[in-house]
Amino acid sequence: MKSVLYTCPFVPAEWIAACGLDPMRMTPERAGEGMPAGVCPFAAAFIHAASTTNACAIIVTTVCDQMSRSAEIIEARCETPVFLMNVPATWRTEEAAKLYRDELARLGRFLEDLGGAKPTPEQLIETMLHYDSLRAKRRADDETARPKGLPLILAGGPLRSTDIEIFDLIEQAGGTVVLDATAGGEMTLPAPFDRARLASDPAGELADAYFARIPHAMRRPDNQLHEYLNRELTARGARGVIYRRYQWCDTWHGEAGRLKDSLPAPVLDLVAGDDESDRAHVLTRIQAFVEMLK
Amino acid sequence: MQIYAGIDAGSRTIKIVLMDAEGRVAASSLRDQGVEVVALAEELLDGLLGRAGLERSDLGRVVATGYARNAITSADTTITEITCHAAGVLRQTPQARTIVEIGGQDSKVIHLDDSGHVRDFAMNDRCAAGTGRFLEVVADKLEVPLNALGELAGGSTSPSAISSMCVVFAETEIIGLLAAGEQRANIVAGVQHAITSRVAAMIGPNARGPIIFTGGVAMVPGMDRALADSLGAEIQIADEPQMTGAMGAAILAAETP
Amino acid sequence: MNDTPAQITLDQWDERYDQLRSAGLVEPSYGGPLRRHLADGDTRLAHLRYDNSPAALRLWNFLLTEEDRLRDARAAGAKIVGAMKDLGTVAVMACSMDNVVAFYPDGAWWIPCMMELGAGLLNIADSLGFDESFCPVRAMLGAFVTGEHFPRPDLLTCSVGATCDDFSAIAQRIEAMGEKIVWWEAPHRRRPDRGETPVELPGGFVAPQCQVDFVRGELQRVADALADLTGAKLDSHMLAAGIEAANRVRAVLRELRQLAYTAEPCPMGALEMLIAEMLAIHFCSDRTESIAVLDGLLDEVKRRVDAGLGVARPGAARIFWINPVADLRVMNLLEECGGRICGTEYLFPHAIDKIPTDIEPMEALARMALADPMIGPSAGRAARICDDISKFGAQAAVISRISGASHCAMEGTVIADRIRKNLGVPVLEIETPPLSDSMRPTLKTRLEALVEIVKRQKG
Repeated sequence: MKSVLYTCPFVPAEWIAACGLDPMRMTPERAGEGMPAGVCPFAAAFIHAASTTNACAIIVTTVCDQMSRSAEIIEARCETPVFLMNVPATWRTEEAAKLYRDELARLGRFLEDLGGAKPTPEQLIETMLHYDSLRAKRRADDETARPKGLPLILAGGPLRSTDIEIFDLIEQAGGTVVLDATAGGEMTLPAPFDRARLASDPAGELADAYFARIPHAMRRPDNQLHEYLNRELTARGARGVIYRRYQWCDTWHGEAGRLKDSLPAPVLDLVAGDDESDRAHVLTRIQAFVEMLK
Repeated sequence: MQIYAGIDAGSRTIKIVLMDAEGRVAASSLRDQGVEVVALAEELLDGLLGRAGLERSDLGRVVATGYARNAITSADTTITEITCHAAGVLRQTPQARTIVEIGGQDSKVIHLDDSGHVRDFAMNDRCAAGTGRFLEVVADKLEVPLNALGELAGGSTSPSAISSMCVVFAETEIIGLLAAGEQRANIVAGVQHAITSRVAAMIGPNARGPIIFTGGVAMVPGMDRALADSLGAEIQIADEPQMTGAMGAAILAAETP
Repeated sequence: MNDTPAQITLDQWDERYDQLRSAGLVEPSYGGPLRRHLADGDTRLAHLRYDNSPAALRLWNFLLTEEDRLRDARAAGAKIVGAMKDLGTVAVMACSMDNVVAFYPDGAWWIPCMMELGAGLLNIADSLGFDESFCPVRAMLGAFVTGEHFPRPDLLTCSVGATCDDFSAIAQRIEAMGEKIVWWEAPHRRRPDRGETPVELPGGFVAPQCQVDFVRGELQRVADALADLTGAKLDSHMLAAGIEAANRVRAVLRELRQLAYTAEPCPMGALEMLIAEMLAIHFCSDRTESIAVLDGLLDEVKRRVDAGLGVARPGAARIFWINPVADLRVMNLLEECGGRICGTEYLFPHAIDKIPTDIEPMEALARMALADPMIGPSAGRAARICDDISKFGAQAAVISRISGASHCAMEGTVIADRIRKNLGVPVLEIETPPLSDSMRPTLKTRLEALVEIVKRQKG
């Protein structure tokens, strides 16, 4: 089956799967050579990974300026077709929701051109139910896991594969991540599907579950993100938030100060660069944060 | 006699404080950091114990802190420099609410609550332009001893604007300013302001006093004034500011059951 | 009275001003010597070199009194609209309504330069978590905190989506401080897919009709907010009149650019032309006076062209300038290094292009908004820049990277590559902070080297 590469949480995997293609959500590793100064390490790593992929197509979204622009850089570097999907920053208007739905339809046509097929409503419903059950299982597993250390929320921008180590560093420091609220973690899973609506309007339900309900720093206004973190802090009994963002990522950086002001628990603002030697510095901060909370 | 040790293995220097069970400092020492961190720390510790007429067997708990804390083999436990500086400063000034620590390679801001517990902190170890390293570069470029920078800056009429986030490029800016005939006093004052304004940004808009200035850079004349100007608030320099981390580590060693 | 064009210092302007007054200079209400703005804190003025014409004096005085005009308008009962980021669209709508004055808070990005950091706006932004990794427009955040540089708007709008992340994040912080913002979506402009109806946009861009329709819907939301503010509906006739007034400003600017950027010797300095272009955005605090200011400048340029007079050395290297520069002094520096401006792209060519008048007004504005070079692919912006470089006959290009701006890191490379590949023209990328004095020697070396390359190529 042909694979379609993407990384953004606003791209519904079930839509690609229902079209008969293999959704391949990618966690990029590291940047290649030749990226100019000032590029966010995640965007740089994504460009490198996408430019060397074997997938038959790449989906990029407009969640941030640098990812939007990465689409044309990838197109210039490789032959793989690239689809740039508009994900509106505004999210409370019917017009924005319609734009997102229209973009899904446009993505569908792009996938058909790649050899996919427009799914029947029944096929789409079946695929959505499959993915919904997988996500339900993941949520249930997360909820039953008992924290071994100080309960913490890890929030912030997306993680590269080389950044996953932060979970180990938090454990080393005596903490446990009770919620992965990074862009790509549990926070950005779509909402469970409304079964009643699913039967009558699967495409509409798919669009709403993703577009209307995923909190993200790029949203304007951004209150969904703050409300989500406030709610989950209490629900998960978390004692603090480790907020991790990349250097040159303005979208997630912009939220750091306000989260510190508004959340009812301490927030550790961690800036990640593209330097392996960061590890010791990151560990010191996390240890100090845990010491502080203890 | 039971003795507790705090070892601050920083990136530039190693500091050790020995403390008795009543919290009195028995001995303290500081030495420049080297390649062999472990050997240097052990040698310094042994030397200090010897001068105090003590043996290793007199040692109770040993707490290591600082950048190389995990390398100190004689430590019973490690605690970060955030917690240790807070403990060290609070012993001197129990009413302290904000601590600014500027070292050779990094800078820290620690906010304390009304009980003296760490409430929040921020660290800068990415941008050398916010650390003592910047002062060293400037002193070298201007061929002025580090401890004479403060006096020189006192003669500034209009501090230069140093804009670069990167000390390498800032060095280029300084060369440019010199080439343009800018007075050295203005350049030094500009650099001091560049460092302290970055620290002020880390502190945020609502710093609570008393604000205690610690770390090696607090000993550089003029930096306290520059920091006070950037903050628009009064500051106090900690006693023996380069030792507060080790002091705090020793306090925590003694307090830990 | 000596009317020979020259670039003079602030001190020389003092003397010149007295001479002009003695010779019967007639000034508008906001007139006066340039030096008076120094007392207001605009200390950078002491380090710039200015055109010596009365038209240039009026231009500077107009620019530096926008705050006074806004406060006067507020005192007279007008509603103040702060339009953020769109650079040219919402202001046209706002100014189409009676008793409404609009401005762009974005303009605060030059305050740190003009006041040589004296206002402390960047320090305030720093303390709120917006450090040097953000573009200098973070000064706007400080300006909202102090409330000292413009009156608090009655209505605040901001275009988001495909605009830059810096701005969006900063505006979000402003909203979190209690300023309600009408967010409107500027989607990433794309070429029409198969089966979609293409629409030609100003600037040579093409987009599908569905995107134009979407933007039109977003602008209608802004119009509804304006109606709520004023109690009056913005109808097509009002909007058509507003577009006509905006087009009048734009037409003068296009003529001024065409003359100033092509005539030899260069009839008007880079700095005054930069300020003049800014009126494409900042005209809205007084449209009538903006036109008068620009007409005066155009007359002066025409006079000089007819007389074969100019301010730059004959044979100066013809430079196309991309992005506004954070430190105005750099524009002087280019000329001191032997260059002159032959074409610019300061991120708002869509505010200079004519707004279509042969279609329904809101449709026209939607097309205009979608023609913003920032919200489409960098390659599209680069293509337009290449066209303009050819049109103006520039021999080299300077890309002035905006420090910290999220779009510049990738976009600069795309634009530079396209210019080199398509035109074979040398390109220099620089990055300047709001105060670049300490970088002056390195900037000078780079600009002089670019000029030398051009001159060797000519030779």
